[in-house]
Amino acid sequence: MKILVKYMHQPRIWFLSIILGFIGCSGLRWDKYPEVIYNDREPLISVTYDYGEIEIRIPLYYPRYRPKQIGFQVFANDDTTFPLLSVIQEPLDEVVLFLPHGVLDIESASNRIRIIPQDVDFWTRYIPFKGINSGRIDLPLTPVDFTPLLVEGIVTWAQNDSTLSNIDLQMGLSGPSGAILAKATTDVNGYYQMGIPGEFMKSGNIELVAGTNLVFQPIRLKLDYSSTKGLYRNISIGPPKTHLGPVYFTNKKNVHFRESPEIGSQTLFLLEKGEIFSVEKMTTGEYFGNIEITLSDGKIQKMDGWVLKEDLSLMEIGSIYNGDNKK
Amino acid sequence: MKYLISSLFVIIIDLVFAQVSLNINAIPRKVDVLLDGEKIGTTPLTDIKIKPGSHSFELKKKGYASLRHSIDVNPAESLKMDYYLNPIYFIKFFTEERGLTFELNDNHKWSQNKIRLEIEAGVHSLRVYQDKKIIDEQNFIVDEPKSIEYIIKKKISD
Repeated sequence: MKILVKYMHQPRIWFLSIILGFIGCSGLRWDKYPEVIYNDREPLISVTYDYGEIEIRIPLYYPRYRPKQIGFQVFANDDTTFPLLSVIQEPLDEVVLFLPHGVLDIESASNRIRIIPQDVDFWTRYIPFKGINSGRIDLPLTPVDFTPLLVEGIVTWAQNDSTLSNIDLQMGLSGPSGAILAKATTDVNGYYQMGIPGEFMKSGNIELVAGTNLVFQPIRLKLDYSSTKGLYRNISIGPPKTHLGPVYFTNKKNVHFRESPEIGSQTLFLLEKGEIFSVEKMTTGEYFGNIEITLSDGKIQKMDGWVLKEDLSLMEIGSIYNGDNKK
Repeated sequence: MKYLISSLFVIIIDLVFAQVSLNINAIPRKVDVLLDGEKIGTTPLTDIKIKPGSHSFELKKKGYASLRHSIDVNPAESLKMDYYLNPIYFIKFFTEERGLTFELNDNHKWSQNKIRLEIEAGVHSLRVYQDKKIIDEQNFIVDEPKSIEYIIKKKISD
């Protein structure tokens, strides 16, 4: 070090030091590779979709009054056992239900919403609809109403129990109003079914009238819906099996049903047109036979009497229908 | 005219209803994002409306390997994409050995004894030639800026 300090002022030493420094630095110099070297590693990417919910809107209306609560169940793919969603809500004018994305059938209307009013008098309904993956579904306006009152059964010919097709029936209110609420006709198997709005469930004067298109008086039955909304009533039409002789029916109104054949004998009843009269014996101008009357307690009572021959027509199974309904 | 109106209607419906809300995040922050070749901003990006269908994304930031990503966007309410960009590190590579040629990842060659490299983080394969013959092959991991010295492995018998 002392030597270096001693000779530092000499130019030769300076020159030598610069040369040595340059050589030394070039020895330390690093080249740079001209491009970035990638390893083409798979990029780390996370992709997350949010498909949103399915919003189902059901507008409701209440023709009579509102049940206290309404249950809703949503089913998909024709299933009716395992609901996707089950809720009970207040009876609002519009109900909104939410489902997760992609749970509904989007190909067909195999999804269903079951509306279950929490009241036995109301009707449970299924609304079918086609699904979407996400977004909003607006269903049609749906009534929340009383359960309809149904009646069904078979109509048969009383004398041989064969079923009768094309028999007209109607449901209505008995008494002065006589309003007809529903009509039906038996099919080839003698089967009929009818329904009237559930609001009549408390009415005590609903009656079923069978055979309104027949030549004789139709059958009238009282229907009691106090304990059920569906009744099964088989109806037997025509003269009963107990009628042994030929069966006639009155062919006009106010036919005298008299105690004896003599002129001036007492008239027991005035018969309506179409009353069935079972003949047992006859004179030149009058027939003796019996009619069946229904007592107030529902029991049937046979009564004997006389009717003018001209007031009766012979009944045949092929000619029991009125007008266009003739077989 | 009818066609024009119906086309316009379809376009409006398309614009209003058939859009997906796109959110993009990346590590590191402030990465430039190009959607179908056009810059749409720097991360984090929120509520960018795009139509369902095929799209390509490119993410760029100095000091990181660019990332390209193609995706068929489904018709959804929203789409969230998180990217991790791979850093590029400066590596000093040197050796005391003479007459060697180095090859990285099959296509980057040099013969200098001392060289500075810019290398994407991760595993890289190194091949060493001497007189055009492969004398060594090995992988090394780049996970930080560092110096790597290459030494020829000697056999125990040597």
